[in-house]
Amino acid sequence: MTGEGQGGGASIPSQQGRGRIRGFIMTLYTVLFYLLAMIVLLSTLLAITRRQVVHAVVYLIISFMATALLFYLLGAPFLAGLEVIIYAGAIMVLFLFVVMTVRIESVEGSRGEFLRRWLPAVVLSVISLAAGGILVFEAPASRTALNTGMVTPTAFGHYLFKNYWFPVEIVSFLLLIGLVGALYLGKQESKTAGGRWENKT
Amino acid sequence: MIVPYGNVLLLAVILFLMGAACAVARRNLLMILIGVEIMLNAGGLAFVAASLKWQRLEGQAFVLFIFAVAAAEVAIGLALIVHSQRRTGSVNADHYNLMKG
Amino acid sequence: MKTILFFLLFFPFAGSLLLAVIGRYLPRRVVESIGCLTVLASLGMAILAFGSAGEKRYLLTLFDWIRVGDFTASMSLYYDPLAAVMGLMVTFVSSLIHLYSVSFMRDDEDYVRYFCYMNLFVFSMLVIALADNLLFLYLGWEGVGVCSYLLIGFWYRDGVNATAGRKAFILTRIGDVAFGIAIALFFLIFDQLSIFSINSKVSTLAAGMATLLGLLLFWGAVGKSAQLPLVVWLPDAMAGPTPVSALIHAATMVTAGAYLLMRLFPVIALSQVTMITIATVAALTGLFSALAALAQTDIKRILAYSTISQVSYMFLAVGAGDVTGGMVHLLSHAFFKALLFLGAGCVIQALHEEHDIFKMGTLRQRLPVVFWLFLAGSVSLAAIPPFGGFFSKDRILLSTFSHPEPIYKVLALIGEVGALITVLYTFRMFFVAFLKRPSVHEDFSDRDLKVPKFMAWINLPLAILAISAAAINLPSVWGGSAWLTHYLAFLPGGNIAYPVSESLEAWVEIGSGLLNVAVLIWAYFLYRPEKPTPGVMRSSLRDLLFSGFYLDRLYQIALVKPYQAIAKTLWLGVDEGGIDDRFDGTGTAFRFFSLGLQLWTTGRLSTYLRMLLLGLTVMLCMLALGWYYIR
Repeated sequence: MTGEGQGGGASIPSQQGRGRIRGFIMTLYTVLFYLLAMIVLLSTLLAITRRQVVHAVVYLIISFMATALLFYLLGAPFLAGLEVIIYAGAIMVLFLFVVMTVRIESVEGSRGEFLRRWLPAVVLSVISLAAGGILVFEAPASRTALNTGMVTPTAFGHYLFKNYWFPVEIVSFLLLIGLVGALYLGKQESKTAGGRWENKT
Repeated sequence: MIVPYGNVLLLAVILFLMGAACAVARRNLLMILIGVEIMLNAGGLAFVAASLKWQRLEGQAFVLFIFAVAAAEVAIGLALIVHSQRRTGSVNADHYNLMKG
Repeated sequence: MKTILFFLLFFPFAGSLLLAVIGRYLPRRVVESIGCLTVLASLGMAILAFGSAGEKRYLLTLFDWIRVGDFTASMSLYYDPLAAVMGLMVTFVSSLIHLYSVSFMRDDEDYVRYFCYMNLFVFSMLVIALADNLLFLYLGWEGVGVCSYLLIGFWYRDGVNATAGRKAFILTRIGDVAFGIAIALFFLIFDQLSIFSINSKVSTLAAGMATLLGLLLFWGAVGKSAQLPLVVWLPDAMAGPTPVSALIHAATMVTAGAYLLMRLFPVIALSQVTMITIATVAALTGLFSALAALAQTDIKRILAYSTISQVSYMFLAVGAGDVTGGMVHLLSHAFFKALLFLGAGCVIQALHEEHDIFKMGTLRQRLPVVFWLFLAGSVSLAAIPPFGGFFSKDRILLSTFSHPEPIYKVLALIGEVGALITVLYTFRMFFVAFLKRPSVHEDFSDRDLKVPKFMAWINLPLAILAISAAAINLPSVWGGSAWLTHYLAFLPGGNIAYPVSESLEAWVEIGSGLLNVAVLIWAYFLYRPEKPTPGVMRSSLRDLLFSGFYLDRLYQIALVKPYQAIAKTLWLGVDEGGIDDRFDGTGTAFRFFSLGLQLWTTGRLSTYLRMLLLGLTVMLCMLALGWYYIR
């Protein structure tokens, strides 16, 4: 067992919670979890159904924020922070940059196409959900409740660099490559240099 | 005690499928990419929950890597979208059908 | 003796091989010389063998042919008086016909092929005549069948000839199957295939097996000799060149069936059932073909039906137990039938390929040599005393009649009726074709008809023999020495099984001789030249006889058409429909499948993403289902 943080949460069934639900111990954390879960689901749902990309991005930021809180609840504060910084902060902002600087016409079709586009996706998702739900809940491990826990950033950092320093180096290399690639691809074609770039196949 | 482990996983599954539905049903390339991001995020959630359940830190370490890769991938993806938009003037996924047949 | 017999067989075979390989490059005269000299050399060998053999019998092995485990088939020869006589006849008639062919085929370009096949045929026929080992005999048997096919369809460029050849081959093949089965049975029972050994061990056969073997051999003989029911190929075989008809379908191949039965006579004679069957079929065939000959107009077809009829007399002799009688008739028939065919060939060529006797006429003045020679053949065929055919046919009828079984009396009667009809159709042919005919188109009457002298005169030896064939076996009642009977005496069946008294023999012969002459005179009245239209039969009867009792049509309906229907079904239905179409169908199915799959390759990203999600769904479902099944 590695790196368990000093339990910050109560491990005793407490009466601090809102009440009991039929044999299941309800604590504050439970309520918190469901609340955050609702927020995440709702905002994601809104995000994927928006016509405007910018709206979708903003809703998604909300979703990611809630997810970060969820991470904190599940004992990973460092990752919660990273979620906000990288995901919500960098990636979504990147999206916004692209939307703003490149002229995007609305590409979504007419209203009538809505059902036609969404139906197969929804059907397949529901079926997958059913199958996935079966799989998740047939496992005996799923019924046990999660204990609260916390991993401090220090402990996490120690652990990470002790055992997984090599993947970290690789990841940094990967980011470098991504950087170079994005740079090359994003380069504006100069109008004076006709040549290769104008040759369309 | 928070919630049963299965509930968190179920949440992750739902989020994942929502992201998949978005990637499948939208024609705007950016929205497809957003769908991918949602999926990655849901995967990370599942990892964190697993890490808590089995009391091992590998789960969280992997989430870090997921973030890093997602970032790199988004960067390149967006660069590609920009580049192709400049070439063909459209970000409609249906527009790119030269591989038809 | 061994060398003599070896060369007897070797010369024609070598000639055939030589002509096949380098005949093309040799000048015409050389080819013709090779073709004729080989057969003449064989004739020399046959005479030598005959002279030196006396009355001894020889069993010789030339060399071992097949050796498999316990089974040895060697090329062995059994030279007994029967084989000696047969060999002599075959080589003699073949030599004359080869010489005749040189002149007959003088305008034909394919002479190399012709002489090659003819030599091969002579070789095969000699194998049949001399062979001791049944497998070796079968080789010759098949050989003559093949050569017959090749030679009937010699002018194959005309489809009719090729069809005739094919018909002959198929029908004789039907008989050959039975013969092959008989050979297998012989091997099964006796463990070896030597005729000599089989004949000596014949008493060990069970009755049922003897009958079976006899009937199988008879069926083989029926095919080869064109008796009922495998008779329809011989009239059509006249599509070949006339010398071929003379050699193969008069003198040699069609007699091979009767000869086989004579060689294996001990086996045949064991079973009364077989003997009666042979005699009955023979008598019926004789009558059938004599009647059919009465209505034919093509001179060669008349002679073909006549051959069938005469060969049936040989079979009748075997069936009555009289091998010598059959052999005598075989010999005299060979001479006069060959003579008749060759004469017909002269006439046909002279009249520019005219075959219809009703379009011939006044040949006495225009082709005198042929006229007299043909007359000689005709009187012999019609058994007019004292010429050759008379004594042989009469002896056969006498033997048949004197057989104790009652049915033989009926058969003898049928045979006698057949003999009378023979006179009728023979002289119908002769009078209509040869005598002066005022109603014939004047086109021909003034022109000088040309026949190469050589071709006409080569028939003279045959004519002499035909007329004097009586001398071979003149019964003692007339002062003759019955030489052939004595020569073949110690063969099984050599002597008449049920001899009659000499005086009865004499009276019967006188009686039948008078009958024959009477019919001849009647024929003259019917077909004499002054009659405007020499036709005496009602047209329906004539059609019946002309078509050979509709036998061809019967076979066509009963056998050929169903077979063709089945073949067509198997071709279109099974092979093309079932098998080919199934292959095509598989291909088409794949095409459709791929066309369906093509709908998926839209090139659009949304489609592919959808497919990915679909795959994921399927996988999850399968995992979920698997979970349940594991539980």
